[in-house]
Amino acid sequence: MATTLGGSPTRLSFSSSSVLHTLSHKIPFPVVLLQRPFSSPASSVSRAIRLPNSRLSGDPGLRRSFFVRSGLQSGPEETASQTYDFDLFTIGAGSGGVRASRFAANYGASVAVCELPFSTISSETAGGVGGTCVLRGCVPKKLLVYSSKYSHDFDESRGFGWNHEAEPKHDWSTLMANKNAELQRLTGIYKNILKNANVKLIEGRGKIVDPHTIDVDGKIYSARHILIAVGGRPFILDIPGKEYAIDSDIALDLPSKPEKIAIVGGGYIAVEFAGIFNGLKSDVHMFIRQQKVLRGFDEEVRDFVTEQMSLRGIEFHSEETPQAILKSVDGTLSLKTNKGTFDGFSHVMFATGRRPNTKNLGLEEVGVKLSKNGAIVVDEYSQTSVDSIWAIGDVTDRVNLTPVALMEGGAFAKTVFNSEPTKPDYRAVPSAVFSQPPMGQVGLTEEQATEEYGDIDVFTANFRPLKATLSGLPDRVFMKIIACANTNRVLGVHMCGDDAPEIVQGVAIAVKAGLTKADFDATIGIHPTAAEEFVTMRSPTRKIRKPSSPLDEDKTSSDVKSAAKV
Amino acid sequence: MSRKMLIDGEGGHPADEEQYDFDLFVIGAGSGGVRASRTSAGYGAKVAICELPFHPISSEVIGGVGGTCVIRGCVPKKILVYGASFRGEFEDAKNFGWELNDEVGFNWKKLLHNKTQEIVRLNGIYKRLLTNAGVTMLEGEGKVVDPHVVEVTQPDGSKKQYKARHILIATGSRAQRVNIPGKELAITSDEALSLEELPKHVVILGGGYIAVEFASIWRGMGATVDLFYRKELPLRGFDGEMRAVVARNLEGRGIRLHPGTNLSELTKTEEGIRVLTDKGDALTADVVLFATGRSPNTKRLNLEAVGVETDRAGAIKVDEYSRTNVPSIWAVGDVTNRMNLTPVALMEGTCFSKTVFGGQPTKPDYGHIPCAVFSIPPLSVVGLSEEEAVEQGKNDVLVFTSTFTPMKNTISGRQEKTIMKLVVDSETDKVLGASMCGPDAPEIMQGIAVALKCGATKAQLDSTVGIHPSAAEEFVTMRSLTRRVTAGGKPKTNL
Ligand SMILES: Cc1cc2nc3c(=O)[nH]c(=O)nc-3n(C[C@H](O)[C@H](O)[C@H](O)COP(=O)(O)OP(=O)(O)OC[C@H]3O[C@@H](n4cnc5c(N)ncnc54)[C@H](O)[C@@H]3O)c2cc1C
Ligand SMILES: Cc1cc2nc3c(=O)[nH]c(=O)nc-3n(C[C@H](O)[C@H](O)[C@H](O)COP(=O)(O)OP(=O)(O)OC[C@H]3O[C@@H](n4cnc5c(N)ncnc54)[C@H](O)[C@@H]3O)c2cc1C
Repeated sequence: MATTLGGSPTRLSFSSSSVLHTLSHKIPFPVVLLQRPFSSPASSVSRAIRLPNSRLSGDPGLRRSFFVRSGLQSGPEETASQTYDFDLFTIGAGSGGVRASRFAANYGASVAVCELPFSTISSETAGGVGGTCVLRGCVPKKLLVYSSKYSHDFDESRGFGWNHEAEPKHDWSTLMANKNAELQRLTGIYKNILKNANVKLIEGRGKIVDPHTIDVDGKIYSARHILIAVGGRPFILDIPGKEYAIDSDIALDLPSKPEKIAIVGGGYIAVEFAGIFNGLKSDVHMFIRQQKVLRGFDEEVRDFVTEQMSLRGIEFHSEETPQAILKSVDGTLSLKTNKGTFDGFSHVMFATGRRPNTKNLGLEEVGVKLSKNGAIVVDEYSQTSVDSIWAIGDVTDRVNLTPVALMEGGAFAKTVFNSEPTKPDYRAVPSAVFSQPPMGQVGLTEEQATEEYGDIDVFTANFRPLKATLSGLPDRVFMKIIACANTNRVLGVHMCGDDAPEIVQGVAIAVKAGLTKADFDATIGIHPTAAEEFVTMRSPTRKIRKPSSPLDEDKTSSDVKSAAKV
Repeated sequence: MSRKMLIDGEGGHPADEEQYDFDLFVIGAGSGGVRASRTSAGYGAKVAICELPFHPISSEVIGGVGGTCVIRGCVPKKILVYGASFRGEFEDAKNFGWELNDEVGFNWKKLLHNKTQEIVRLNGIYKRLLTNAGVTMLEGEGKVVDPHVVEVTQPDGSKKQYKARHILIATGSRAQRVNIPGKELAITSDEALSLEELPKHVVILGGGYIAVEFASIWRGMGATVDLFYRKELPLRGFDGEMRAVVARNLEGRGIRLHPGTNLSELTKTEEGIRVLTDKGDALTADVVLFATGRSPNTKRLNLEAVGVETDRAGAIKVDEYSRTNVPSIWAVGDVTNRMNLTPVALMEGTCFSKTVFGGQPTKPDYGHIPCAVFSIPPLSVVGLSEEEAVEQGKNDVLVFTSTFTPMKNTISGRQEKTIMKLVVDSETDKVLGASMCGPDAPEIMQGIAVALKCGATKAQLDSTVGIHPSAAEEFVTMRSLTRRVTAGGKPKTNL
């Protein structure tokens, strides 16, 4: 949702085009997600999407009857034998829960959803309709990114003839007030969406009692299906002084702007907040355990964004493991790491991963299987180890992004309440990092593509955008297309630079559709834009060919031939 | 046209080769000419190119390597659009917590200086591109003397003739003035990009993209802007709904629109230029811009004498391979008045080289060419407008639209909506056209264009996961139909 949900209640209806057309290039996508930058760091780095649950595979007739049995169109005998308060009870009204509830209700199910009372800062007992994305994630974060980016705009504007007599000052409390007013508006809109979809909203903390029973603060409800969509919460490292640290919830709603902040962590949230506070002129220090930020992203892009962020004034401390936070008499904080102690911070922020909200939900008791890091284990249809209990979104720790939670919610509703077994499709899920400059990417990284395909062609562009030639700032743009050397299919696209998230969305359609590099080349550019570079990258920067193996002689010689041809 | 005919060297016996100074002589080093020269040289051809001396404002004897796009079009224009956009940014910044003076200073001279510096730099880069490609560069005005001879009048007035196996005309186009009394008081886009002083009050005549862009530029820099055009809406040829949105946004940003109005006379007065409209109104401006179309640069090329046919507008007539009726003479870019955009001139230039020197007859493909109007906020489109789809389509047309407040505006309070539209064939599910008016539209549309070019279906758009939070994600989440229009052109009732 790009928007205020304002004037479009019509969007509640589901896709009108139900026929999925075959793609023009029918090459299967890899089903293995090698590295998943948007999953919580505690989970295994490489995990294949599991094969269909045995109950669901095999005889199509069987499969269908399974869904019919569990869906709305239950046989009369079953309906007679047991009645429930609701066809679906959803725990958690975040991205996934709201979507699944709405869609299920749209298919005719009677639906209730429970959600914790509203607060900008989440806890065991506080949350709010809209969930992380709307209240503590994507939306407030992007609003802060907008706000912080202006300082860069001011810098740029000088080269274009604008002058500010005094350096513009930022008033943090104005930003917070306006942001919070917007969050209030949005949570109201989400409540209305649920109401208009005839979903019953129950305020309180949900807990599972048995496979068909939910307890919300002492009140008991029964449901044919239970959907767990409780999301995740920030994880704070267990080190001495951790009580002095803030997490992303708090960072989005601070009473005053940090003067000097240590951000611990190298994931996308850490990188985004570094950009925010740097733009608002805080002194920003990033502490990362690894050598580089953004593990799981394309290596070249990782280096590029680090360099660009450094140029804007962010200080990186790599291979530093935090050991303690100390508070000194003057009230400032010090961060002690394996390498030394760094003083004078007004704030220390932990952006050290998130954990699924699965504690005290009654899951273990009812037999819902959890993974080591507490995520709910589900099959490809989001069904848990208990037949009537399903789970979607961050709580399953698959790809932790709002549009993915939405997709999972939509697929769940279709599967269970529309007799249309639908698996969420994780191929070519695009994503963005709202760092400054921002990143957008879809498909495989160069490293993944090399590992999976062996022979790839890599096209890169690294240029100074038109705006920077006038502003005189050291801003650059990096773009990359990775194509399979044998099929010419585009496997991955990466960009770091202004508007990257907006630019990559359209490109993602092409990548998802399995288009080739030649298809990109056949497209005419829009001049003058940065995006046109994606359709004018004519010659590969490098060709990666898997080392020839003596056992594979035939193949090798043909590889050599094809390489020589170009 | 048979393949054999097209490839270079018909009758290319070694003896023949002596006759020619060059395999290719290109007149005009703009987008099309530079591209064609470079790629031809890349195929091994011996190439020369002539171009007029450099200056930001063009004339019959002034131009410069890089051409309109680099010196007097896309690039300087986009630089000014960037410059002008800051005013809106500053306004928007306030609700995001920034404390700014109400009047931020703006120094036009500084922008002009920096812009010119960048243009000079680019001019140098283009020259180097040619040199590095081994293309011989000649300064002067080119004229066709016979099917294989070009005469170049050098800046000092001396003339030189060159023999070439092929001649490529890539002389582009120039702004045209409407014929009303006082027309000499008006300026064209050339001068508009290089004004000495920033005008306080501008009158613009024209409804095309150049008129609309300059309206946004000057408004952003603080001028009062009156925009006059003949139709009810600006941007004829674009999707009707989008035209209305652009008009509303221009007005929202403070530009005064005068639809259905022409200018009838300009007179010089003490206070500035007095402008009379055909409705009998009068106003005074310090600058009047005519953005009333461009005409191909063919007048002084001596084409009639050689027998190269032109159309009534003066554009050179070419076949699908950019060949004129004289077999050794070809033409690309604006001078052929096909689709007057830089990337199209580039495509035509590349196809020409492939055809003539690469042994691969290649027709430029005019399907699904995306383009942008850099108004503030911008418009960008690819494929068919709703009107075109309804008119051309055999099947019913499904229209999906989405109008929303961009997230930034929820805080800034700016009353401006973004609108997106997809036009889909109801039978094939193919997306026939996409358009968007709103921030970043041109950047967003490029990727959409790749998908549409390859025949993407609405289902393929729907199956793409969004990037959240972005504006672009709206293009892959447009689930509900806004309307269905029958092939006949009437919205369908529910029967
Ligand atoms: C700082 C930050 C920035 C982010 N930025 C982006 C971004 O730019 N793009 C993007 O795609 N994703 C982003 N994300 C991730 C995105 O927010 C999540 O992937 C998404 O919200 C997951 O949706 P969900 O439905 O699984 O869970 P949530 O949205 O977290 O919703 C879960 C809901 O369940 C409620 N709940 C929990 N326990 C109970 C209970 N026992 N009873 C009742 N209710 C309960 C919670 O209060 C919450 O409202 C960001 C996340 C963070 C933290
Ligand atoms: C204000 C403005 C804004 C524009 N913005 C955009 C935009 O945003 N995007 C876009 O795609 N397009 C834009 N265009 C259009 C784009 O500039 C043209 O389509 C493109 O430059 C055409 O390239 P060309 O090679 O045909 O001609 P040109 O680039 O015009 O090159 C022709 C060259 O030939 C030279 N010449 C002419 N006669 C002779 C002669 N007798 N001898 C030697 N040399 C000669 C000229 O000096 C000139 O350098 C814009 C145009 C204008 C005027």
